[in-house]
Amino acid sequence: MIRKYLNIWNLILLTALVVLFLSVVYPLFSIFRASFLSSETEQFSLENYGKIFRLPFYLRCLRNSLWVSSLATILSLIIGIPFGFFISRFHLPGKPLIKTLATLPLILPTFIGAEAWLLLLGRNGWITNLFHSVGIGLPTIYGWKGIVLVFTLQFYPYVFLMLSASINSIDKSLEESARNLGGGPWYVFRTVTLPIVTPALVAGAMVVFYLSIENFGVPVLIGEDFKVLSVQAYNEFISEMGGNPSMAGALSMVLLFITLLITVGQKYWVERKSYAMSSLRPPEITKLKPLGTFFVWFFCASLVFLSLFPFFVVIVSSFTKTQGPVMYFGQFSLKNLANALRVTPRPILNSFFLATAASLIGVIFGLAVSYLVVRRRGPVTFFLDMVIMLPLIIAGTVLGIALAVTYNKGTIVLTGTWMILVLAYFIRKVPFSIKTTSSILQQIDASIEEASINLGVPPLRSFMKVVVPVMLPGIAAGAIIMWVTTLAELSSTIVLYYGPWATMTVEIFQYMGSGDFGPASAYATILIVSVIIPLFILHRILGKDLTATL
Amino acid sequence: MRVRLEGITKKFGPLKAVDSVSLSIEGGEFFTLLGPSGCGKTTLLRLIAGFSIPDSGEILFGDQIINHLPPHKRETGMVFQNYALFPQLNVFGNVAYGLKARKMPREEIQSRAQEILEKVQLKDLAHRFPNQLSGGQQQRVALARALVIRPRVLLMDEPLSNLDAKLRINMRQEIRKIQRDLGITTLYVTHDQEEAMTISDRIAILNLGQIQQTGTPSEIYFHPENRFVAEFTGTSNLLEVNVLSYDLGKSLLHTEFKGHQMLIKYPQQPPSRALVIMLRPEWIKIVKDEKENRINLFQGRVVSVTFVGFMVKYQVKAFDDQLFTIDIQDPQGYEMKREGENLFFRFDVDRPVVIAS
Repeated sequence: MIRKYLNIWNLILLTALVVLFLSVVYPLFSIFRASFLSSETEQFSLENYGKIFRLPFYLRCLRNSLWVSSLATILSLIIGIPFGFFISRFHLPGKPLIKTLATLPLILPTFIGAEAWLLLLGRNGWITNLFHSVGIGLPTIYGWKGIVLVFTLQFYPYVFLMLSASINSIDKSLEESARNLGGGPWYVFRTVTLPIVTPALVAGAMVVFYLSIENFGVPVLIGEDFKVLSVQAYNEFISEMGGNPSMAGALSMVLLFITLLITVGQKYWVERKSYAMSSLRPPEITKLKPLGTFFVWFFCASLVFLSLFPFFVVIVSSFTKTQGPVMYFGQFSLKNLANALRVTPRPILNSFFLATAASLIGVIFGLAVSYLVVRRRGPVTFFLDMVIMLPLIIAGTVLGIALAVTYNKGTIVLTGTWMILVLAYFIRKVPFSIKTTSSILQQIDASIEEASINLGVPPLRSFMKVVVPVMLPGIAAGAIIMWVTTLAELSSTIVLYYGPWATMTVEIFQYMGSGDFGPASAYATILIVSVIIPLFILHRILGKDLTATL
Repeated sequence: MRVRLEGITKKFGPLKAVDSVSLSIEGGEFFTLLGPSGCGKTTLLRLIAGFSIPDSGEILFGDQIINHLPPHKRETGMVFQNYALFPQLNVFGNVAYGLKARKMPREEIQSRAQEILEKVQLKDLAHRFPNQLSGGQQQRVALARALVIRPRVLLMDEPLSNLDAKLRINMRQEIRKIQRDLGITTLYVTHDQEEAMTISDRIAILNLGQIQQTGTPSEIYFHPENRFVAEFTGTSNLLEVNVLSYDLGKSLLHTEFKGHQMLIKYPQQPPSRALVIMLRPEWIKIVKDEKENRINLFQGRVVSVTFVGFMVKYQVKAFDDQLFTIDIQDPQGYEMKREGENLFFRFDVDRPVVIAS
């Protein structure tokens, strides 16, 4: 009986389960338990949850989180839906470029977007000062308005991407037959096209809502007194460091409950309503009259411009002369960049090292798990598949707090080492690697491997010799996505880093906090360049779009 | 290498994919598992290759029980339905793969790969990649790759199902020729009865995980043991008849079918009063002169006529509502009956096959 189960893949399965238990399940359980401990007596108590749902301060955090996330979701739909339809259905000049640029905000760090809008519209912002000099006061960007602005401009591409993928999968004959049966264009749109794309829209909306509610960098930078759950959990945790993290734990649990609810709701609703379709003839692309084309093009182009302009501003700022929070726009200077690269390169190296370490581990782990999930279907691997996707619904702050709480004492002490950062990054980003590798593995027939085994090569070596080479493009894509998103990771880093292991994101965050826009922009520019170059290479060499993996 | 299966059962959940199957394949024999999709034939093949382990029963290569021998140590050569060629290796690389895994000296790999490529007529394409080959060529590479390691058993899983009809017939002959030349024990899986008949030394017919009958192609065609085998191995007319009497001296069964007498040659006492008899379409003749021989002579009405070329296929209705399929071979100069016309048909007493009651 034992002999039947003793093989290399079951050994790997066991290892994967242990790793997941130690890095996800057990830490989550730890904060869950901590959230039920009284901060004074360390006894079981519901006082933390009592506070959250009774004290106005905490209730406001919860309300604030829901408010900005809902608003960002609605606005993303309002601009993402027309954008998606226009791009998929109309001839537009420069469409490939618009499409590529439109997806760029997805990989650019949101807190850099926040930084840029502060550079423009903050108290000392360029536009604010410009208007001030002619005597006009602008509405403030601080608080929920700024947060919603940044969220909407960075997350609407999800709505657009999912919508256009869904539109392109509708077989042309479907709409044709509806027309043939006597439906007018608007009637067909309402009764055929819209119901088919609705699941995609819901999925897109859920992603936007989730990303908004778990986000830490944007509200912490421009929220000021407007506190949201993720920020407050962090504040409680930092102020209680060394003490009892039970309040942070309870806030994390509330946040986790919301994100879990969204994911379950999405899975349930979207899967029930999805229509699987193999499109033989994609829908026709219409050519509008010149004036119509212009308006549609103008809408799309200005949206893309608006969402990328902040990053342009950051890059310009990094080449600008600064003194504390004062920017001398128009005066060129390499001082900040040179400083970052030559005097204090440690954060850059830290970021690169940590991202590389996490990606390497992630690639190997992702490969093994993908194989188990795709090829060795069974109750255990099904469970593995569920648990491995768990990090996707855990906010970065929550995961950070969970790991810090779990590994600050006991047999394994990791808190305060660089390894805990690698662990956090690895577990947070490995789902991306698994998604890319398992989708490509699904396309490789299992018989290729069996043929190799049949010819006398043992199972694991067969996999390495005949399957991995074919999977290389997908593996590379997964690795690059892991690497660039790790580089841009702020929320878990800010909880887990310590002095010498500050990353670029931490530096940007801290310089922003002290109003030093110059050094912040310099690191931000280096970060943007480090993120875009690998993606460009991915696009050129592998012909793979990042949109396929996110 | 002789291959034996003894009481093999394999379950997937509650479903018995293979149900106490026993069979013995002699050394050098070309043995085919024939059955409809889902009958367990591929599962059986994969059990022999070692990709799954039987729940009970034993698999023997020679006298060695190999139930728990891992697949990469079984020394079987498998040809997959989709060929499963390694896309990143060229033809030579694919063929040499198994030899390299055995750490053979380079010269021997060269010469053995060359030899087998010559045998499958792919010598000139050694540097092509799988995606540059036609379906038939890929098939040959898959065969060469499996044969070059000189396996104990050659296993083939519906190897021809992805080829077009003409190529399938050519490849079928080629496979048979190579198999004979090498004298290799071969287990072949197919759902195509014609393919099984033309290629095999012996056939086992499977249904619902169980062996229905094992025998040479002619045994199976002329003496099916049950209804399933009769129907699966070709067109058959099945009649449920009642025994009236048995004449031991002449070995003749007097039977009755819907009030009509039928005489059937049968070597022993019938096992029961109700029997099923089977007639292949080409065993029935259409008679011009109804006076010539009145034994087993019946009248029917033509329902449809199909001209196939080498034969004419009739659907004839007789005994009120019994449909008969009747094939007339070599119909040149033959005057075809039309739909709705009446005709007489008969069969000889030694033609009907009695299959279980």
